[in-house]
Amino acid sequence: MTPVRAPGSLQARLLALVLGLVAIVWLGAAVATWIDARHELDELLDGHLAQAAALLVVQQAGEGDDDGVADAPSLHKYAPRVAFQVFHEERLVMRSANAGATPMTSITRGFETVRLAGGEEWRVFATRGAKNDVQVVVGEQTASRNAILWAVLRSVLWPLFFALPLLALAAWWAVRRGLTPLRQLSRVLEQRRAQAVEPVVLDHAPLEMVPLLQALNHLFERIGGMVESERRFTADAAHELRTPIAAIRAQAQVAMGAGADEAQRQHALQATLAGCDRATRLVEQLLTLSRLEAAPAIHVTRLDLSALTRRVAAELAPAALARQQKLELEAPVRCEVAGDDMLLGVLVRNLLDNAMRYSPDGATIRIHVSLDDGATLLQMQDSGAGMSEAQMARLGERFYRVLGSDQPGSGLGWSIMRRIAQVHGAQVAVARSRALGGLAVTVRWPRTPAG
Amino acid sequence: MRILLAEDDTLLGDGLRAGLRQLGFQVDWVRDGAAAERELASGVYAAGVLDLGLPLKDGLDVLQALRARKMTTPVLVLTARDAVPDRVRGLDLGADDYVVKPVDLHELGARLRALVRRSHGQPQESLRCGALVLDPAARLARLNEEAVGLSTREFDLLHALMLNAGRVMSREQLEQHLYSWGHEVDSNAIEVHIHHLRRKLQPALIQTVRGIGYAMARDGDGQAA
Repeated sequence: MTPVRAPGSLQARLLALVLGLVAIVWLGAAVATWIDARHELDELLDGHLAQAAALLVVQQAGEGDDDGVADAPSLHKYAPRVAFQVFHEERLVMRSANAGATPMTSITRGFETVRLAGGEEWRVFATRGAKNDVQVVVGEQTASRNAILWAVLRSVLWPLFFALPLLALAAWWAVRRGLTPLRQLSRVLEQRRAQAVEPVVLDHAPLEMVPLLQALNHLFERIGGMVESERRFTADAAHELRTPIAAIRAQAQVAMGAGADEAQRQHALQATLAGCDRATRLVEQLLTLSRLEAAPAIHVTRLDLSALTRRVAAELAPAALARQQKLELEAPVRCEVAGDDMLLGVLVRNLLDNAMRYSPDGATIRIHVSLDDGATLLQMQDSGAGMSEAQMARLGERFYRVLGSDQPGSGLGWSIMRRIAQVHGAQVAVARSRALGGLAVTVRWPRTPAG
Repeated sequence: MRILLAEDDTLLGDGLRAGLRQLGFQVDWVRDGAAAERELASGVYAAGVLDLGLPLKDGLDVLQALRARKMTTPVLVLTARDAVPDRVRGLDLGADDYVVKPVDLHELGARLRALVRRSHGQPQESLRCGALVLDPAARLARLNEEAVGLSTREFDLLHALMLNAGRVMSREQLEQHLYSWGHEVDSNAIEVHIHHLRRKLQPALIQTVRGIGYAMARDGDGQAA
C-alpha cells in the first residue's frame, strides 16, 4: 500500500472486491459457456447440414432426369434461414425457395462460410454424388446460429443481472457483521479519556484483532509509564523548589528583622543569595534532566575518553587545589567511545565534582580511564567517608541527598549522570574504594564492534 | 518559649532558627528524624516544628512514635508536601498544625504561640494575672496598664510561669524552658531573674514554694480583658 492512497472504508473495499470477483468469475463462466456452446452447436448443426446434403444426394441419385427445376416448399418459419441447391451435371435441378440459381459456394466438397449477394453470412456444405454428376449444396444463415448462441448466453447472464444486487446486499450485510469488532474497538477508543492508560478489553475479540489489541495495550502501558514519570517529575520538582524558596524567604525576613545586628543581616543576606543560587542550580538541573528524559538529542561522534577526562580534570583542578585535594589522573591510552561530547563532559564533570564536593579537604581523588578486554572503563575513587550500602542503593533516586553533608547538592546530579550513561549504553556501578577507602564509581562502556 | 526545629535543609534551618530567635523563641535545631524524636520526647519543648522529609526517620514516623508514647507536645508540621491527603494524614497522625513551605516567619511564630497557648488551655493570646497582663506576640508586659521593661529572659520566665499558672515550676523546669542549647546556665540564674521580676512587678505575684520551685496564681477574678 502506498502512502498517497486515499484511506477508503474497509467495508467498501471488501464489498467492491467481493462483488468484482463474483462478476469476473461469472463473466468468465459466461465466456467459457459461449465458447463451448458455440463449438457444440457448430458441430451439431454442421452434422445436420452434412446429413441433409447426404439425403439430397441419395434422393437425387434415385430420381430420373427431369428438365424442370423443382422448388421445394417452405414448411417452417426457420425455413428461410436454411437453403439447398441440387445440381445435376452442372445444371440446377432442385433448390429451396430462398436459394439462388448460382451455386452458393465454389467448392465441391466440405464446409465453407460465405457471404452471399443478399449480404448475409451463410454456412454452406457441398458434396458430390457417387457418380460425380450430382452436386448438392446446403446452407444455413450463421445469424441463426448466433441467435441460438445469444439465447444460451442470455440464460447464463440473466441470473447474474438479478443476483448481483442481491449478492451485494448479502455481502454488505456479511462484511458489516464481520467488521463489528472493529467498530466496537473504535467506539471504545472514542469514549476513552485522553489520560486513560488501562488496557482496552473487547468481548469476543476475533483472533485477527488480538495482535492489534495487544499492540495497542502495550502502547497504552508505555504512554502510561511516561505520563506517570512526567507527573512524578513535575510534582517532585515543584516540591523540591519549595525548600530553597522557603529558605530564601526565611533568610530575607531574618535580614529585615536583624535591626542593629549588622553581622546577622550580612549572614542572612549571604544565605539568601546562596538560596537563590541553589534554586537556580536546581532549575538548571531539572531542565537538563527533563531534556534528557524527553528526547535525548545525542550528537554521537567517536571521541577519546582519556582526552575528555583530562580536559574536565584540568577545569576542576583549581577548585581541588583550593581545598588541598590531590587529583590523580591516570589515562595512559587513547580510549575511544561513541558518544556526545557535551553530555559525556557533563557526566565526567558531575562525577568529579561529586567526588571533590563530598570528600574532605586534603582528600585524594583518583581518576582512571582504561581499556578492559574491549570495554572502556572510567573509574573515580576518593578517600572521603564513602557511603553505606543503604545510601548507595538510594543514589540516583531523584532528589536523594546524603545526610550530613552541608554541600548544596540538588540530589539530581546522580539522576543526570545515570541518564547520560544510559543513553550512551554505559553502566554505572558504585562501590567502596578498596584503594582509597571512600567511594568508587565505575562507568563501563561495553565492547563495541570496531569501526 | 523553647522550640525544637527539625529541618534537614541547612539554609532553611539556619533561616528559621535565626528568624524564630528574632521573634523571641528559644530554638534548638536538629537535622534528622531520630534526633527530632529523641529531643521532642524529652518534654522540655513548648512546641516542635517538624519537616516531613527528614533523613533517618520520616517526620510522620516521628510524630506517630511521639503520640504513641503519649507525648502531647504540640507539633507544627512544616513541609513541601502540599496535597490534601498528605495534610489529612499529617493531622490524623497527631500534628497540631500543618504548614506548607514557604512560610512567613511571623505567621509561623503566631501559629507556634497559638499552639502553645492552646496546649496550656489558654483561650486568649494575652495572659492575665490580677493587674498583670502579658502579650506574648508583642512581647510586652503591662502592670496596671503601664508597660514594664523586662529583659528577654525575664519575659520568658514570666511567660512560662503565667502559662503554667496554678502549677509549681521547679528551677530545672524553668531553666529548660528558658535556655536553648549552647547557653551556660548559672546555678542561681533563675533566682536572680525571679528577684528582678519581683522588684519590677508586685513582689507577691510570684510565690516561692520552698524546696520545690515557684508558682503564680491562676487568674481567678474572671474579668475579661
